[in-house]
Amino acid sequence: MDFISPEGLRLDGRRPLELRQLQAEIGVVEKADGSATFEMGNTKVIAVVYGPREVQSRSQQQHDQALVRCEYSMASFSTGDRRRRGKGDRRATELSLVIRQTMEAAILTNLLPRSQIDIFVQVLQADGGTRACCINAATLALADAGIPMRDIVASCAAGYLNSTPILDLNYLEDSGGGPDLTVALFPKLDKVSLLQMDSKIPLDVFEKVMNLASEGAKAVAQFIREKLMENTKQLVLAKGR
Amino acid sequence: MVVGLSAAEKVYIAGGIAADIRGDGRGRHQFREFNIDTSVIPQANGSARICLGGTDVIASVKAELSVPPPGRPNHGKLEISVECSPTAAPEFEGRGGEELSMDLSRALQRSFLGGTSGAGAAIDLAALSIVEGKLCWALYIDGLVLSSDGNLLDALSIAMKAALSNCGLPKVEIIGGTSPEEEPDYELSGNPEEFTRLETSLVPVIVTLTKVGKHYIVDATAEEESQMTAAVSVAVNKKGSVCGLTKRGGTGLDTSVLLDMISVAKRHSAVLRRALAFAGLFSSPNVEKRPVSFCLLLFRRLDANGCRTK
Amino acid sequence: MGEPMRRTHFRLSPSQKERLSQAQERCREAAGSVHASAFVNVGDTILVDYENGFLRGHGTQLVDGQLLATVCGVVERVNKLVSVRPLRARYNPETGDVVVGRITEVAPKRWKVDVNSRQDAQLMLSAVNLPGGIQRRRTATDELNMRDLFTENDLISAEVQTLHQDGSLHLHTRSLKYGKLENGHLVKVAPYLIKRLKQHFHQLKQYGVQLILGCNGYVWISAVPPSSSEMEIDQKPADSESRQPGAGTSEGQNVEITRDLRVRICRIANAVRVLGACGFMIHPDSIVDTYEASLSWGIEPRQMISGEFHVRVVEREAEQRSKKG
Repeated sequence: MDFISPEGLRLDGRRPLELRQLQAEIGVVEKADGSATFEMGNTKVIAVVYGPREVQSRSQQQHDQALVRCEYSMASFSTGDRRRRGKGDRRATELSLVIRQTMEAAILTNLLPRSQIDIFVQVLQADGGTRACCINAATLALADAGIPMRDIVASCAAGYLNSTPILDLNYLEDSGGGPDLTVALFPKLDKVSLLQMDSKIPLDVFEKVMNLASEGAKAVAQFIREKLMENTKQLVLAKGR
Repeated sequence: MVVGLSAAEKVYIAGGIAADIRGDGRGRHQFREFNIDTSVIPQANGSARICLGGTDVIASVKAELSVPPPGRPNHGKLEISVECSPTAAPEFEGRGGEELSMDLSRALQRSFLGGTSGAGAAIDLAALSIVEGKLCWALYIDGLVLSSDGNLLDALSIAMKAALSNCGLPKVEIIGGTSPEEEPDYELSGNPEEFTRLETSLVPVIVTLTKVGKHYIVDATAEEESQMTAAVSVAVNKKGSVCGLTKRGGTGLDTSVLLDMISVAKRHSAVLRRALAFAGLFSSPNVEKRPVSFCLLLFRRLDANGCRTK
Repeated sequence: MGEPMRRTHFRLSPSQKERLSQAQERCREAAGSVHASAFVNVGDTILVDYENGFLRGHGTQLVDGQLLATVCGVVERVNKLVSVRPLRARYNPETGDVVVGRITEVAPKRWKVDVNSRQDAQLMLSAVNLPGGIQRRRTATDELNMRDLFTENDLISAEVQTLHQDGSLHLHTRSLKYGKLENGHLVKVAPYLIKRLKQHFHQLKQYGVQLILGCNGYVWISAVPPSSSEMEIDQKPADSESRQPGAGTSEGQNVEITRDLRVRICRIANAVRVLGACGFMIHPDSIVDTYEASLSWGIEPRQMISGEFHVRVVEREAEQRSKKG
């Protein structure tokens, strides 16, 4: 199948190095300490943070740092074919772990000893790049909750089809059989927090795809910063003196 | 949702309900303002999101081609399920929300699905049949609770009704295989203008009446629900027929009180249905989000009629 | 283009949205004495005069010799102390703060209290006033009868006594004005909207309503307790020997709440909710202002939580700010 037309356009009309349209909203669940939705094209995710709060089970309490927990859930209607998912879904468990580890690395947990931070990520629509979208949404939610972090975490995915590195795959391109590489990084500290890839590709191709994903993540980071700044300004100026 | 209240707060809430001034100033028979957004899930055939105070739910309808149910070759299929997302409350993490999800799913199934013969379903199941005995539409209605401040059942029923009204089914063209032994060959039209809409006028709306002390209220918040002694959820459709009824809670209710509550529920569901129709939900499917807001406080008839209370 | 007031769960008609964005714009312009560079995101560099030295405060971290922000907020500089204060965070306790909390657990010789902070606070048995105000040693009977004083889910008003290094905080109710709260209604708002004032107990005599603005964002609105109708509120934080009678309701008296009073309490509660939703500072002046405005516009309490009222409140605030500025 031709994922890139002779004119250089992808299935949805994008250029190979083009990100999908990004949209985000901060503060969507009033009851939570922090919440945000993040959209990358048709992929839509809502992340909600409860905490830092008192640890619910004493046995898990850590005296020198915060306990970070994360749960990833997909709505039954989120994928093209509707599928009822059980809670023990392996993919969900893996993603919960991955997102938790990524965000835990960003949070300054030693500043919040004996407390618990719960991150819940709910996928409303999945169209490729769900992992990246979840991490971006979680970053916004954590910042909304005022939880101290080393840096924001921005994430993006990239692949390699028809001998071209392409950025931000959608579901069709994802199922195209090529590699799918997701990277999450701390843009200011310039460090990679998460790197995952499936399929096999030669090393030089890997480098190209990895660099492309990193560039994408940096662009997402810029968007995240703008959204956070806008939100902060709105809150501060509304409050007045 | 665990809502801890002190003895003093409980007294205050019960007192407020008795005096017809609830915590946010509403009377016993007043709904909160709510908003409906349709087409929020473009990948679904129909969807709606409703925000009722702090309660936020999404309903989506996905249509798949399927085989008719055994024994009813000229009917389609309808399935309803509800999920409670952990975003609504940390208690819903893992399997925590399962009990509530099952409870809500069953209550909605009772009201929307009709009997085993398919009679009394919210949607005319015969309209979902494409080729008798071979091919039909199966509608999967999924509800997702994103945030909860009480009255989930009513919110979900309104969202599902809105999602069904928003739903568009692609046109199915049978191009071969029409003999009884063969499987039908079909083609789906991708043209949105050829989409068929569902007849949703008979889809019921559920109104839950929560009894606190001697009085009962509509649209309880989570705090008020934690004080309930009994609750009755009544699903009523346009014709005024009761499509489903659930009574929860340990306290017994006098028959006269129960009948009273049913008639109050009927009146409220009429108001809700009118509000839905007024919102003009007969928009074409998968169009851009059209936020519509309206205030049920405009419908003052119910204040005047009040309700007989013990 | 941000959605105005996303956190609230009503949405507005297009014309109302228009009015709201314009009013919010005017509010922002009138407020605008915060310099652009004072806003920071997580990971942003904070401009500091490295030569003259600086003290690193909350919300910052030192990375490779550069000062970075760890939260989104406004940079505060007090002499050489540079810190960043986040907005919508959980309550950050300080000694002497008046808080409203809910008892979550009754443990040996202490209660655990939820004060919307990152840990539950502790209220030691030795830090409460025994009934009758008698000063005596706590006996074993007292320990067994702790639930007679405060039981699970009770709401109390208290003061922050001490903060420890690991973040644990201790409360005390050693003044007659603190204690169990009754005859009223709790409203929760974001802690950053509550200004730290000299007074957190306010008696709005003209309405017969008492207001406790907990620094932790929990606001208690109730009927004025009968014992304090003529007393003055004490001005300074109580010390353990203080016997000044105040607005305390630790005696467990139940005031008869008339329908009128209930309407007034509800109106005040909704005024607090609206101010919280709009993101405006909450203090007695702004609450009374909103209350009076709702009366003068002929709005019922239940209509105060509608979109229209919110828009009008923002418009009114915009006008007031431009008059002041």
